[in-house]
Amino acid sequence: MGTVTPLRTKEETFYPGVVEAPRFSCALGGAYMSTLATFGAVPILHSGAGCGMSQNFGQNFGAGLNGAGPNGNTSTPCSCLVEEHAVFGGEEKLRDLIKTTTELVRGSLYAVISGCVPALIGDDVGAVVKEYRGGAPVIHVNTAGFIGNSYKGYEQYLEAVIDQLLTPQPVVRKRVNILGIVPYQHVFWKGNLQTIKNLLEKIGVQANMIFTENDGLEALQSIPSAELNLVFSPWSGINPARKLEEKFGTPFVVIPSVPVGPKDTSAFLRFLVRRLQLRRTRVEKVIAAEEHRAYRFTEYMADIAMMALPHAYTAIVADTGTAIGLTRYGSNELGWLPEVVVVTDDPPEEYREEIINHLTEGLESAVKPQVHFEIDSHKIRLLLREHTLQLVLASSLEKHIAVDELSAMQVSVAFPVYDRLIVDRTYAGYRGGLALMEDVAYKYGGPL
Amino acid sequence: MSIDLKANTCPNREQRAGAVNAYYGKASDLVQEARNGTLTNKEREFQQSSGCVLNFYLTTRVVTIRDAVMIVHAPVGCSSTSLLYREVYRRIPLSEGRPADFDLHWLTTNIDEKDVVYGGADKLRFAIREAEERYKPKAIFVLASCTSGIIGEDIEGVVAEVQPEINATIVPVHCEGIRSRIIQTAYDAFWHGILKYLVKKDIPKQPDLVNIASMLSYTWQDRKEITRLLNRIGLRPNFIPEFATVEQFEILGAAAVTAPICPTYTDYLSRGLEQEFGVPCFMYPSPVGIDHTDEWLRTIARYTGKEKEVEVLIKEEREKWLPQMEKIQNEFASIKPNGEKVEILGSLGQGRLLTQVPYFEEIGVSSPAAIIQDFDNLVLDEVQGIIDQAGDFDVLVNTFQAAELAHITRKYDPDVALTCPFQGSAYKREKGATRIHALRGDARQWSAQAGYKGAIAYGNFLLQSLKNKAFQKTMLAKTPDSYKDWWYEQPDPLHFTKQKGV
Ligand code: SF4
Repeated sequence: MGTVTPLRTKEETFYPGVVEAPRFSCALGGAYMSTLATFGAVPILHSGAGCGMSQNFGQNFGAGLNGAGPNGNTSTPCSCLVEEHAVFGGEEKLRDLIKTTTELVRGSLYAVISGCVPALIGDDVGAVVKEYRGGAPVIHVNTAGFIGNSYKGYEQYLEAVIDQLLTPQPVVRKRVNILGIVPYQHVFWKGNLQTIKNLLEKIGVQANMIFTENDGLEALQSIPSAELNLVFSPWSGINPARKLEEKFGTPFVVIPSVPVGPKDTSAFLRFLVRRLQLRRTRVEKVIAAEEHRAYRFTEYMADIAMMALPHAYTAIVADTGTAIGLTRYGSNELGWLPEVVVVTDDPPEEYREEIINHLTEGLESAVKPQVHFEIDSHKIRLLLREHTLQLVLASSLEKHIAVDELSAMQVSVAFPVYDRLIVDRTYAGYRGGLALMEDVAYKYGGPL
Repeated sequence: MSIDLKANTCPNREQRAGAVNAYYGKASDLVQEARNGTLTNKEREFQQSSGCVLNFYLTTRVVTIRDAVMIVHAPVGCSSTSLLYREVYRRIPLSEGRPADFDLHWLTTNIDEKDVVYGGADKLRFAIREAEERYKPKAIFVLASCTSGIIGEDIEGVVAEVQPEINATIVPVHCEGIRSRIIQTAYDAFWHGILKYLVKKDIPKQPDLVNIASMLSYTWQDRKEITRLLNRIGLRPNFIPEFATVEQFEILGAAAVTAPICPTYTDYLSRGLEQEFGVPCFMYPSPVGIDHTDEWLRTIARYTGKEKEVEVLIKEEREKWLPQMEKIQNEFASIKPNGEKVEILGSLGQGRLLTQVPYFEEIGVSSPAAIIQDFDNLVLDEVQGIIDQAGDFDVLVNTFQAAELAHITRKYDPDVALTCPFQGSAYKREKGATRIHALRGDARQWSAQAGYKGAIAYGNFLLQSLKNKAFQKTMLAKTPDSYKDWWYEQPDPLHFTKQKGV
């Protein structure tokens, strides 16, 4: 460990993990963000003092300049481990912290999230947490920064909830859970969740957003009562969905992306008609009314769309779900030409072929995108330079590159987004495409 | 304690200066205890995330060095704050003097499960070569982390081994998060690396060069104001580390003097430059407020032979700005009846304690207490000076402890609470609240605080906060408090601490 092996001259091993500015934080970061997104839940970090606060710039602000809320950032209880704990163990400190936190901080659920330090020094965090069963529930997300990235942490949080909090419930017809939308990493997460929930309500389906539900604990506890789990990503959220299937028998379906614009939204609703055996006529009525309104409104933006970006060569640099949704909307409704897509959320190998299919099939555009999986921001920059582009839908890391090096317009739509505030903005649903065009045209706007 | 550049790193602030980050009591007692050597730190039973040695934003500072690369030898989460690197400073208009040609880079070694078992030295070596090949930098900073520390990575060994084949100067920075409770240790560790590896010996002196280590909380306008003032007396500032070139570090030893903006931030660098390179330094005052700006300039002038020029400058500046300062003083004085002073409570670093309390005196407001991130024995005389000038006051020493801040804000109930986003819900209140400072990329005149211009801008800024309380009142009424009521009903913000060794 830690010894210096002799210098190898040529043929050095390539380390794909060594990268410039990957677009996520660690697994602790992901579990922490998911806890903050559960209203009423209080995260308790068992970690170094900086693991929480650093996520304020790294996750909260990175997701459209968001504040961390009442229990985030410096308001987050943390054991703030230093060397003496590393030597003598951090369990006593954690014991004190859980006790005082439950005494002092209002909450209906406490989630102890362990980071790198306790994992390396071998604290038995699970045992300490178990001592506190009885009052408000305390769960333990057994993670560490070196175990994986934010997406992993999101899944680990849900898995901890499933294992430690959930009990079987009678299944309620037409109730579904929304999975796969990762708080903060998917920068439009709040708006996406609410839009899907509202949409489903219109067709008589009750959706549990889990995150941002007014009573977070109740939302978690009612997860097993769903008839179906909807995973809005080809990959993230599938592990907890599988776990729910094993444990409670709830089936799940994968919706490759949050639907953007009328076409994909209607297709999504029609899919649910079949899957949940809903009354077709009722849903078709909703679809007809929504589409009418959406396309009537599209006429308001049609002129500027034709002026600003007719048949634009487009690059999309985003997490899998966002990339699929925007590629499809741009290609199938606005007439854009999806030239290149860079997927930045590091999906596991086994999902990649399927993701490529989602990004390249079913597109009206004669131009099909070149698809790359890349987490290295330097390589992404070099990659983009190989293309002629007019529009770059990406993170704010591409903001200046698009303008200075690609002569293209850029809108920040994927993590990290440091150049705009995203509170409940969303590109999901019938109105979502219009919202996207509003943001795009804002960059174009000016004297004609 | 003298600085030992042969060592791999600095001592922790706890050892070097008896630093603590938990104390509540009278400022005079704090100073006395520190002098007697009886000041001991406390362990918090309830504690909140507050930044560590690596991540009280050392990464977001080091990454702004323009022709360098930062490598964070850590799991992926430790560097996530640096994701804003391509935007920081970019919204400063070129017309305001931002150089057009800069491109910042950083790498993470992304320590994973395999590495914590087998070590990450190969990966670090690879990262250094990759940095050199990709970006052709002049320097490569290697930042350590909790994980690299606990698994016993031999960063020095790797650096010594690869340096011969690398053109860039490699600077290891021992900022393992767990090494110290005091976030100031981060800066000492960083300056140690700078002094040891980058500052050049035996280069011609530049008698008009003034070293200034600037903080995250000093903005572009502050730099402009300081530049303006120094230029007027024929001097040039050398601002480091933010936005500097590697050359600016190399020439630190050639400067005439190192001047403070925040003495506690600059301390190790200033002392090191004096000890190793013969560059004199001073720690007090900083250029905040009109009087202190005068004194700051005068002190610099003494080291640079500009005593005559500086008096001309000060006279002109005072003529220009004093009438505006009087307007601010009058407006503050007229806010409360019977000559009662407006009370402002701010949370600050040790450095800001030394600048803000006198500035508040100058504009005619009072501070019922001071909240400082940490306290050490480096600036005892200066703090004593403040007590002599402003009278004794209560001090809460805590590093961004949001519950303690909420407590003390309610307890003292000042007219204005100065908060920053690192302060939780303390802004939700019936009375005034505003931000304590802006950040470095904020180029608006409005956000200035340094020099004469800043003294006026900041005074007006504070006045604005007394004119509408709608936001904080609404948020107080409409959102639940994070803490239970009993917390505010008991008297001690340090309720949950126990006495412990350092
Ligand atoms: S990678 Fe580890 S040490 Fe770094 S922020 Fe994440 S949990 Fe903390």
